[in-house]
Amino acid sequence: MTFANTRCLRAIALAPAFVALTMLPGCFDGDDDDDDMVVMPTPTPTPTPTPTSASFDVGPCLQQEIPGTGGFTVADAVIPDTLTINLGADAGFPNGRLLSDPVIDVTLAVIFLDLMEHSPLTFANIPLNPPENDVAFRSGFPFLAAPQGSPPLASTSGTTFTFRTDAPAAYERVDRMGMPAVATVLIGSDQKIPYNDASPQDDANETFVPELAQQLTGLTEALADDLTNAGLTPCAMPS
Amino acid sequence: MRRNAKLMAGAAGLVLAIGATQILPGLGLTAADHLDPPGRTDPSVDSTPDRAADIADIFAWHTDDKFNMVLTFSGPQATDEPATYDPDVLYQINISNAGSRVDTEIPIRVRFGRGAMTDEFGVQVSNVPGVTGNIVGSVEKDLTKDGVMVRAGLFDDPFFFDLQGFMETKDTGDLSFMADRDFFAGQNLTAIVISIPLDRIANGDNLVDVWAETARFGGQL
Repeated sequence: MTFANTRCLRAIALAPAFVALTMLPGCFDGDDDDDDMVVMPTPTPTPTPTPTSASFDVGPCLQQEIPGTGGFTVADAVIPDTLTINLGADAGFPNGRLLSDPVIDVTLAVIFLDLMEHSPLTFANIPLNPPENDVAFRSGFPFLAAPQGSPPLASTSGTTFTFRTDAPAAYERVDRMGMPAVATVLIGSDQKIPYNDASPQDDANETFVPELAQQLTGLTEALADDLTNAGLTPCAMPS
Repeated sequence: MRRNAKLMAGAAGLVLAIGATQILPGLGLTAADHLDPPGRTDPSVDSTPDRAADIADIFAWHTDDKFNMVLTFSGPQATDEPATYDPDVLYQINISNAGSRVDTEIPIRVRFGRGAMTDEFGVQVSNVPGVTGNIVGSVEKDLTKDGVMVRAGLFDDPFFFDLQGFMETKDTGDLSFMADRDFFAGQNLTAIVISIPLDRIANGDNLVDVWAETARFGGQL
């Protein structure tokens, strides 16, 4: 967490919750220079749909730092939708993604729980979902386990092959992926095609921030009581 | 005391799961990225699903001297099914290492091609830092060129998640999550594995961002 990041978040804290969400990406653009920091909130003129309910402010969930990542926030992890690797820190989700990482349980924890009170591994330690792959990964290249069963495998004797030589422009996008489960959990059905056609630059331009906020708010509205009753502290704040 | 704490933690999980069932229907949670977007890749939604171009997962991690990436796709599938090597799909792993986090400095492109025999398929990996020309060779073999290792082939699906429990819970309203039930167990998919010397990806203290995309020649199915 740099001073500039902190200053930006303080400014966000003064802004209305939803406007604040739209400002988050500007706080974490991957560099530490102060020139592009948004000091005072300037609401984006882009029309943004109001969440279906304002009963919870999920801003604190996106603003909270993920422990052990050197100040990386949930917003950093989701916007842009990429796997991000700090080469100076240990590997492991959300610092990149290892084959063995319990990404779903970790993701649920960091978007719903107050990480000042609970570990990102809270759900993984229960666990909520299967904690590991059904077969062991290989310790060395190619890392993945061999295919299971006895499937037909391609011959390995070929030496000459014919590949398309067309430029990338001759192809049309079908799918994109960065972070696990973001496109599937935090993007609603009617936005899935536009989301998969978009780019990290679109993410950084906040194109899908309203959608992310709306989906996360909806999830939080359903889960907050359950989390509280289970003795857990949600990261979202009643509003 | 220890046991009680564990039970309480378990209860927390159950309560969360029950709560999740009340809201998650309609959100389209399928998996990491398997069968997403449904309108293009899920046979229950799309009459011409593009399995070959359906990304399942992207993994990326560093070690002391390597930067490893795994792109899985066209799965999960039964263990008696062959791999998918579609010459009309372009697989691209985009790496940003100049600080913007959104601009792609290193677009690694992967294509598959047919060999002389019907059971021969090749993989071509282009635009790999420090590699002269393309890395080309047969699938199902470790390929090495200029310090970079590549392998494309059929593998076990590495993702683990109780999708069945989620779907049953959604349909019935009864809690069905089970931590010992992995929908992806015993299933395979196709993957590309690339291991690059770390110093070809590192750029000072900059964060490195990785994402993957697929595209089909001539337009979507």
